[in-house]
Amino acid sequence: MPTTDKPNLPILQLVGVRKTFGDFVAVETLDLDVMEGEFLTIVGPSGSGKTTLLRMLAGMEAPSAGDISLRGVRINEMPPEKRPTCMVFQSLALFPHKSVGENIEFPLKMRGVPAKARKARALELMGVVRLPESYYAKNVMKCSGGERQRVALARALAYDPDVLFFDEPLSAIDYKLKKVLEKELKDLHRETGKTFVYITHSLEEAMVMSDRIGVMRSGRLVQVGTPEEIYAKPVDRFVSEFMGEVNVIAVERAAGVEDWTGVDVPGRFTLAPCQEIADAATAYVVVRPEYLRVLGEGAGADNALEGVIYNEYALGSRIQYQVRVGEKVMLVELSRAQALHAAPGQRVRLGWDARDAIAVRN
Amino acid sequence: MDQARRRTALLVSLWTGLIALLLYLPILCGALASLSKGRYFGFPVRAFSTEWWERTFASIEIGMIVENSLLVAALVTLLSVVFAFFGALAFARYDWKGRRLFQKLVLLPIFFPQPVLGLALLLWFSALGIQTSWMTAVFAHLVWIVPVVTLIIAIQVYGFDPALEEAARDLGASRWQVLREVTLPLLWPGIWSGALFAFLLSWGNFPLSLYTAGADSTVPKWLYSKMVAGYTPMVPALGTMSTLVAAAALLLGGLVMLLLRRRSAA
Amino acid sequence: MVSLSVSDRATDTATKPAGAPRLPFRLSPGARAALPLLGLLAVGFLAPLLAILAFSFAPPRSFAVLRAFSLANYAELFSLSNTVWLSFLWSIGFALATVVLLALIAYPIAFGLTFVFGRWSGLVSVLFVFPLFVSENVRLYGWVLFFIKNGVLDGSLKALGFSGGPQVLYTSGMILAGMVYTYLPFMLFPMTLGLAMVPRDLIDAARDLGAGRWQIWREVEVPLAMPGILIGTLLTFVLAIGAVAEAKILGGQSVIVISHDIEIAFTYSQNWPLGSALAVLVTLFIGTLTLLALQRLDLDRLLGRR
Repeated sequence: MPTTDKPNLPILQLVGVRKTFGDFVAVETLDLDVMEGEFLTIVGPSGSGKTTLLRMLAGMEAPSAGDISLRGVRINEMPPEKRPTCMVFQSLALFPHKSVGENIEFPLKMRGVPAKARKARALELMGVVRLPESYYAKNVMKCSGGERQRVALARALAYDPDVLFFDEPLSAIDYKLKKVLEKELKDLHRETGKTFVYITHSLEEAMVMSDRIGVMRSGRLVQVGTPEEIYAKPVDRFVSEFMGEVNVIAVERAAGVEDWTGVDVPGRFTLAPCQEIADAATAYVVVRPEYLRVLGEGAGADNALEGVIYNEYALGSRIQYQVRVGEKVMLVELSRAQALHAAPGQRVRLGWDARDAIAVRN
Repeated sequence: MDQARRRTALLVSLWTGLIALLLYLPILCGALASLSKGRYFGFPVRAFSTEWWERTFASIEIGMIVENSLLVAALVTLLSVVFAFFGALAFARYDWKGRRLFQKLVLLPIFFPQPVLGLALLLWFSALGIQTSWMTAVFAHLVWIVPVVTLIIAIQVYGFDPALEEAARDLGASRWQVLREVTLPLLWPGIWSGALFAFLLSWGNFPLSLYTAGADSTVPKWLYSKMVAGYTPMVPALGTMSTLVAAAALLLGGLVMLLLRRRSAA
Repeated sequence: MVSLSVSDRATDTATKPAGAPRLPFRLSPGARAALPLLGLLAVGFLAPLLAILAFSFAPPRSFAVLRAFSLANYAELFSLSNTVWLSFLWSIGFALATVVLLALIAYPIAFGLTFVFGRWSGLVSVLFVFPLFVSENVRLYGWVLFFIKNGVLDGSLKALGFSGGPQVLYTSGMILAGMVYTYLPFMLFPMTLGLAMVPRDLIDAARDLGAGRWQIWREVEVPLAMPGILIGTLLTFVLAIGAVAEAKILGGQSVIVISHDIEIAFTYSQNWPLGSALAVLVTLFIGTLTLLALQRLDLDRLLGRR
């Protein structure tokens, strides 16, 4: 499993951890180190086991096999209230019958902190998460979505846990506010220096915030790496497709190391040599829409395909074209300056260079 | 998972089991008494016999009373489902001006002691010059049971997306077709459990029947009159039979519910 | 007929062309659906209550309702020599004790139904609903058979060589036990409904934030389940105030409760006006309590969970 070389130590370690519910395997045996102070995001579609993984880390589920340790001490059965960790729930789990202040003070009250000290701490935290002091007595149900996020964050920080867990807290927030909160969360991570473990189904969200990303699929941790590694070197088709809209072409080995034949589109392709598929008989070529070019008269590329323009979409600063190549639909993204001004039905030649594509195993 | 939680679960289960046992203990005592030989009940039972069951079965008087009870329960079931179906739509489906008030009004008969309601109805019937009989008992049952059934159906209605009705109308269905094709099939489970409740609550009702059935008797009313007049093993025998009828109805109803749910899930 | 020329909704003209009957005023669909039930309640609930109100002002021991006005019945009730007050106090005492005992008994079960029993909760619920369908006199009579001399308890103890069971029948404690027994489902199910409204997340969150079992109960569970607990409390209190079968069957008429007094006035002593006045007092007491409590409840949220 590739991990970046960081000088610091793991704060949480999972060794051979597995979780089953009856016959159902929620999380297949996995190892994972969460480094002190890092922002680790676990990404995966719903049902991939990421929430179960997080709940085990937080102490709300015990692993069926394997060990979880905190700074070297085994904590498998340690209940959540005893762990120096805190969870921000997907629903936020704010107490609807309590005010903003009472919500933030809750963990302090549970630990018997006197009222005066609690209030001081709550107001301090409201400053940290950028909530105005006047909100202290406000009913939490009267707050907007963004404000609630901040309350939940302040509450999680209140008793100064070492690790904060996030269970997709931004999933129900509209796009624009989400972008703001993502950046704030990253700032908060830097300012507090705490370890953040975040789960989401949106790789885009993960890319913006994380130091490292782990990708999960049907209970397995398929890849762990920095955002750059995940983007540039996905280990398989699933990870590459998870990254967003990509063109995937199935190929099989023709002759040499770099010479392949298309399976679902006609043509012979040159692939950049790479370890992953060194001895594979079949593989997938992943080409991002922004790396596909429309080849003009006489222009060339390592690989080329011919197709018919089928549809065009305006994506703000860019334009996306759907091009039919045989039975397959390829996506091409061009900047507005490069726009084709072509009507659907027009024939085009698409091309890409070997170094712009990623080859992944079947 | 952790020990504290497991201990809580164990304690809660034990407590629940104990209370459930106490809940059924008197019913078992009744069954025991009905199967004892001899005129007077004594424990431990010296000899068992089905004599009292046979005599209860053979009694023409009891036959008539059971018929009365069944008739009342059947009519109450039928009528209360009709009233409650529309009542539930008004309760949960439509947003209308008087809804909040209506909801509270519907609850009032449930939050009202039945003996007092029965006596008030008795007085009301007499004031109107209506001779009390099994028919007035049906009416009295309705006053209490319809609100209960309304609540049961309303719970189902809450889970019903009104957009479905709008979509059906948009797709060209008439008001009647919407009701038959969309609303009713989706609300069936609620309606069915409402009907089951109506039947069972009417079958076992005592305080309303006591005051409003006049000279006609129902099973609970007859049992009470015998309890007061003096013990005969026919009292526990008929009581146990009536319990078994209720259990059978519940079982049958439960099976139909299961089928309905499976069909809607498929 | 200007008002008729303007349809209240644009769609009406589209879906109902000419020829459809039109009323001078239109009820909303909700009000129309409410109509049958409202009619039933008007005739079967409000009217009888008004009837007893009218009767309560008739001269004592007469049937001259609405022809003569008299406060004599109320005067009689409020005179200190009347034992009605004692009955009322007994009923209130029984009801209060019933509510407290039921809250303690039912909470663990409601908790189990919501958080512990999982897929068994359906079955456990049925187990606790079913006794509702058995006439209360049958069930209470079962207790008589249990506690009576030579009954199940007494007989078993004697068979085991003890001197016999305690004589608890026909005491006020037995009446209370009977009420607790009869009204258990009325506390249990509203309570369960209330507990089901507590999101699982909030309990996990409270735990994660360091709350112990007791703190979770006090800070999260009870406040959020309050609507359900309130309904259960109110329901059992009100039903216990009007309960009469327990006192008659298990109490052997050793204690006269308020409903029994009303019944006596209506039947044996044929004093309808006095019985009516009593019933009016009970209704006022119960009605005020119920309306006050219902004022504070959002039924849509409790039943519909939205």
